[in-house]
Amino acid sequence: MARLQLKKVVKSYPSGDVIRGVDLDIDDREFVVFVGPSGCGKSTLLRMISGLESVSSGEIIIDDQCVNDIPAAQRGLAMVFQSYALYPHMTVYQNLAFGLENIRTPRDTIAKKIAEAAKMLQIDHLLDRKPTALSGGQRQRVAIGRAIVREPKIFLFDEPLSNLDAELRVQMRAEISQLHRQLGNTMIYVTHDQVEAMTMADKIVVLRSGNIEQVGAPLDLYNRPENRFVAGFIGSPKMNFLPGVISSIDSDGVQVKLDGDEEPTILARVDGAGRTDGEKVTVGIRPEHIHVPGDQSTGRTAAPNGGNTVKLAVKHTEQLGSESYLFAELSGGKRVVVHLPGQTSARIGDIIDVQIPAPSCHIFQTDRGEMALPRLDAPIDRPTTPQTDQ
Amino acid sequence: MNDKFASWPHRVLAVVTGALRAITHLMLNIPERPMRWAQRVLGGQRIAWLFLTPNLIIFSLFTFLPILINFYYAVTGGVQLWPSERPFIGTENFQKLFACDNYFDYSTCDQDLFWRAIYNSMKFVSIQVVLMVLFSLITALVLNRKIVGRGFFRSVYFFPVLLSPVVVALVWRWILLRDGVLNAIIESMGGEKVLWLLDPSWSFFWVIFVTVWAQMGFYTLILLAGLQAIPRDVYEAAQMDRASPWRTFRKITLPLLMPNMIVVLALALIRAVQTFDEVFVLTGGGPGSATTFLVQYIYNTGFAQQIQRFGLAAAASLVLAVVLFILTMAQLRASRSKIDG
Repeated sequence: MARLQLKKVVKSYPSGDVIRGVDLDIDDREFVVFVGPSGCGKSTLLRMISGLESVSSGEIIIDDQCVNDIPAAQRGLAMVFQSYALYPHMTVYQNLAFGLENIRTPRDTIAKKIAEAAKMLQIDHLLDRKPTALSGGQRQRVAIGRAIVREPKIFLFDEPLSNLDAELRVQMRAEISQLHRQLGNTMIYVTHDQVEAMTMADKIVVLRSGNIEQVGAPLDLYNRPENRFVAGFIGSPKMNFLPGVISSIDSDGVQVKLDGDEEPTILARVDGAGRTDGEKVTVGIRPEHIHVPGDQSTGRTAAPNGGNTVKLAVKHTEQLGSESYLFAELSGGKRVVVHLPGQTSARIGDIIDVQIPAPSCHIFQTDRGEMALPRLDAPIDRPTTPQTDQ
Repeated sequence: MNDKFASWPHRVLAVVTGALRAITHLMLNIPERPMRWAQRVLGGQRIAWLFLTPNLIIFSLFTFLPILINFYYAVTGGVQLWPSERPFIGTENFQKLFACDNYFDYSTCDQDLFWRAIYNSMKFVSIQVVLMVLFSLITALVLNRKIVGRGFFRSVYFFPVLLSPVVVALVWRWILLRDGVLNAIIESMGGEKVLWLLDPSWSFFWVIFVTVWAQMGFYTLILLAGLQAIPRDVYEAAQMDRASPWRTFRKITLPLLMPNMIVVLALALIRAVQTFDEVFVLTGGGPGSATTFLVQYIYNTGFAQQIQRFGLAAAASLVLAVVLFILTMAQLRASRSKIDG
């Protein structure tokens, strides 16, 4: 049982506030990912939870006990560092044993726990080696093992995979998720990689400039971003943002005339209550929600619910085999990225008609934190199944 | 008019810059042709020797040649300085140095002062080196913490290293003389004068104190660099692993600092064995021979006494060289095994 609560947590330095009144509840056994751009305060927040950084104001509560004044060693947490932070002069076994020796655990118990953890992490053949003789992935496993043997209430991971190569990162990502299912502990994981966040988390906390922008399940953040920052941060490639003004509001949604004489009008299935015609907004369209009706090769030939049809001039294409990217411009010159499954037949210089389903369009205010207008119905999340040639 | 006036410094600057550029260009290009020629004629291997030769000549003249001459003097006798006037006597000088009924009682030795100097040196080295390493370590640990005025204190501790050993000894002599600063302070507080440099125990104490004070900053710097090279993450991991400050020091800091500690130990040991100038100025080896160390014995025997026994001094200096060689090898071996292990 390990429940964590943050109540109006602030971290101030002479140069300014790094964490600005964060409120957050993390339930027992939850895998929570703190994600955000560099300097957003995610690592600082993790270090405050660990006890390695003091709290300027507010409360950190673990299992109904305020731990603000409890030193890191006494909080019952374990941390996996970005740099692994293994003790370079000790063998893997000694690295794993150090924490247990500090609390005077009997030798046979230490040996048993290390054997179990080493087996789980497949490092049992490395116990006599020193960290310098290990690969990046093996070092990371040892760092995780060091945390496991201490049986902490909460695991803290500070960008643990950022020093690994892409292939190993994918592998370790799956292993950490599996570990979470196996151990069932509460885990807090910091990353700037939204793919890690989306694939591993039960709950994602998006941070910007020391504030929480949104908390939610990965697909909630993808489907219903509360503001333009979250919409832009979650999803790859990034959402297309097109500025415009509201031209009409009715029960079907909100129509936005994109800025520029030749630019089209886009209908979005969002609630326009409280908004007025002529108000400046930004339309958000995910690259993967744009459909190319004439392009048989991609399989995504028509938007399921119809919606907006606009013309795009293809300026550049990237064919990756299993997927394609079109870098195109609207009639007025606004740039749009399209992400298509499969291989596209579109060529540079082509003018193509594309469909953008109204339920997939987002509208963000240009003031008040660039908040999103509420969606009227469930968005179309998945593209249509690619057709295969018979 | 104004424009002209304003532009002349720029013109001067442009001329100076241009001239400097031309000189630099010339300097870099003058050797180019002869170097290319030399490279072509001599080839890659030999041209390396061309660059090494000036330094090798200096090294040969002022280091290698004196070593050879020292060997020659050690195996020749008489009081003449001119080599051709010195008769060959083989190992007689060494036999004289090592002629002893009981090595643990230097009064039974033929060259009792040599053995007194050996014992003094051994005593001095064993105490001074331990204290040097200990105080350097403590100071480095303190200066590595976030204390107020850290930069100032780091400079202050290093400052004595910048002073000439003779200056250091003179300053302390001024403090420790019978009518020196320290006694003046003691007297002003109602105490009695202490003969700091005339009492054998006190003079030995002050020799150790002054040398530690003067050299500690250098070793502190080496240890401080070592401490700063230990990643902060490792300490944070130890903190999360519930290691107490003492256990963190013993199990993390000390082992990770060991390569630097070995360097400090080796350097301090070698320097302690060679100690001469501070002691020579501070106590002159006295009172009596209470602070006469090996190097001073060599100096006294070879140059300071009326009969200058160069041969004996050269033999003693070879003994010192052997001691230093053994110490250096031992330390190198220790440091290698620590690094490898």
